Amino acid sequence: MLRLAYLYRNLTRNPMRALLTCAAVALPIAIYVLSMSVVDGVNRFLDNSARQLRLAVTHRSSIINPLPAGYRAKIESLDPTRTRLLSVCGIDWIGGKIEGDPRPLSTLGADHDTFVQTFPEYRLTPEEIAEWNRDRRAIIVGAAAARQFGWKVGDRITILPSLPPYQPMEFRVISTAPRAEDPLTLWFHRQYLVEARKQAGWEEERVGFYFIKCASQADLDHFRVAIDELFANTPDETKTQDEKAFMNEFITQQFNLPRNLTILAAVTVFVAVMAAANTMSMNFRDRLNELATLKAMGFRGTLISAIIQAESLFLCAVGGLLGAAGPYVAFNHTPLRDFTVPLIQQLDVRAATCGKAMLMAVGISVLAALWPAWLAARMNVVAALRSLE
Amino acid sequence: MSGTDIVLQDVRKVYYKDRLEIPVLEGLDLRVDAGDFVALMGPSGSGKSTLLHLIGGLDRPTSGQVRVGQAELHRMSERQLTAWRSRHVGFIFQMYHLVPVLTAAQNVELPLLLFRMPARQRRQRVQVALDVVGLGDRMDHRPNQLSGGQEQRVAIARAIVTDPDVILADEPTGDLDAATSSEILDLLRLLNSEFGKTIVMVTHDPRAAARSRRTLHLDKGVLDREELHAATPTGAGA
Repeated sequence: MLRLAYLYRNLTRNPMRALLTCAAVALPIAIYVLSMSVVDGVNRFLDNSARQLRLAVTHRSSIINPLPAGYRAKIESLDPTRTRLLSVCGIDWIGGKIEGDPRPLSTLGADHDTFVQTFPEYRLTPEEIAEWNRDRRAIIVGAAAARQFGWKVGDRITILPSLPPYQPMEFRVISTAPRAEDPLTLWFHRQYLVEARKQAGWEEERVGFYFIKCASQADLDHFRVAIDELFANTPDETKTQDEKAFMNEFITQQFNLPRNLTILAAVTVFVAVMAAANTMSMNFRDRLNELATLKAMGFRGTLISAIIQAESLFLCAVGGLLGAAGPYVAFNHTPLRDFTVPLIQQLDVRAATCGKAMLMAVGISVLAALWPAWLAARMNVVAALRSLE
Repeated sequence: MSGTDIVLQDVRKVYYKDRLEIPVLEGLDLRVDAGDFVALMGPSGSGKSTLLHLIGGLDRPTSGQVRVGQAELHRMSERQLTAWRSRHVGFIFQMYHLVPVLTAAQNVELPLLLFRMPARQRRQRVQVALDVVGLGDRMDHRPNQLSGGQEQRVAIARAIVTDPDVILADEPTGDLDAATSSEILDLLRLLNSEFGKTIVMVTHDPRAAARSRRTLHLDKGVLDREELHAATPTGAGA
């Protein structure tokens, strides 16, 4: 009991210092949890993409250069039987937002006749598929986007595209994709976009990129090469890669999120180590006489080190708990659970990430106490007592 | 040698500072019989505190032998010295060095954490130690709620709670007024006469030294002279 009392009272003898140290650990741990949640989300998103056996065909020079609309038929001609190359879907990204609302959207126009086969993970019902095929203004909205904007099936919504035709486009929600893994993306008929562009004076029809659904991994590998060979030495050469590589490149080019967030997390954790180490060093210096007296009484150096380590562990554990539990509760049990990261996924703060963060806090505590604990273990009682006289 | 006699033979202690050799004790011989109460006096730098640290196993001689009871301190490792201190020596410091965030009872209990002892037995020993120093009714007071004299009494209780053979006091009255000093010296005499503790006390105060059985005067690292005292009645003033 006295051991606990001693630990507790040492920690509370300077409450402001203890509080600030906990905060200095909690904040980086919270940043670590959020950053790693995004990175994990990106990785899950990419892993999911890898499972879809899809190829992405973009312009060889850059993703921002569109491809000719006629490429779809040429790609389809590589497997007229549709046994290996199951479907080809032309896609245009228009981003967009709702007028008067700053929140960005991830809106894509897709060839409506091949969308369902190319993206089966949306698991649309037969009724939804019928609606999708029937209405050229049909739009499928991700579940999280629907929650954020309060959309429901049957609603009419107007989106202002970020790309041509730059004029409001009206849609009718035909599904909120409750079974889809991607909760953010909005899909509509690309043909509707083509018509809107023509009306606005954009005559030439081009396609942003193509997604191709293959029957097997072997087919994926085969067509990845075959498609680029088909368009070699043309004005619009292609770059074909599997969906994971395409998404990874897209994310990296746009934000380089995983790398930057990992760096951010590492830097903040390093700052936490510095802050906690500073506190533990000050605690050691402030109590030099006390620790020297304990050693004179017969407390071994390792025991005194353990006292310092235990104090550091307690401080960092409290900070770590606050830093990990805060985002977990906020993003799982409050309205923040609908918070989304643009182009990636819903921010899914998982218990496993929080667990890793707690281990990180323990690591911070060990590193923070390393120097004062080493000094304590090697402390010369005579010198320590003399320095105080 | 019997009991916990303290014997130092040809002890030399040299400190080094920036490659400069600073001799503190120069071939010192000393014997303190078990149950004795010795005061160490001398000018600053004469080696009093160093001698106390050597007897207490806080430091080791550069050469020579230091024996306390059966323990040959000059041969013992740091780890062995630490373990030996916890069982055989109680320290009293000029500035008390109590843990400010713990109560008087908790401060006294601290050394008992090094022993395998049930909490109940620890509390009983703490109660006895604080009763001996006259602070049985101040168990739950923190150091900042006690006077200087009371703090030193708590420090004495902490020094005796493990029932050590030897008590080493480094200027125990140096920070106290005359009346309070006298009370502390009475307490030390009580521990010596009634409980048989061997006490070695460093002091600058001749009146405090006079309350011991004998005073050893050190000068330049050697014993200069010895002074025997007649038994001074308790409460005779410092």
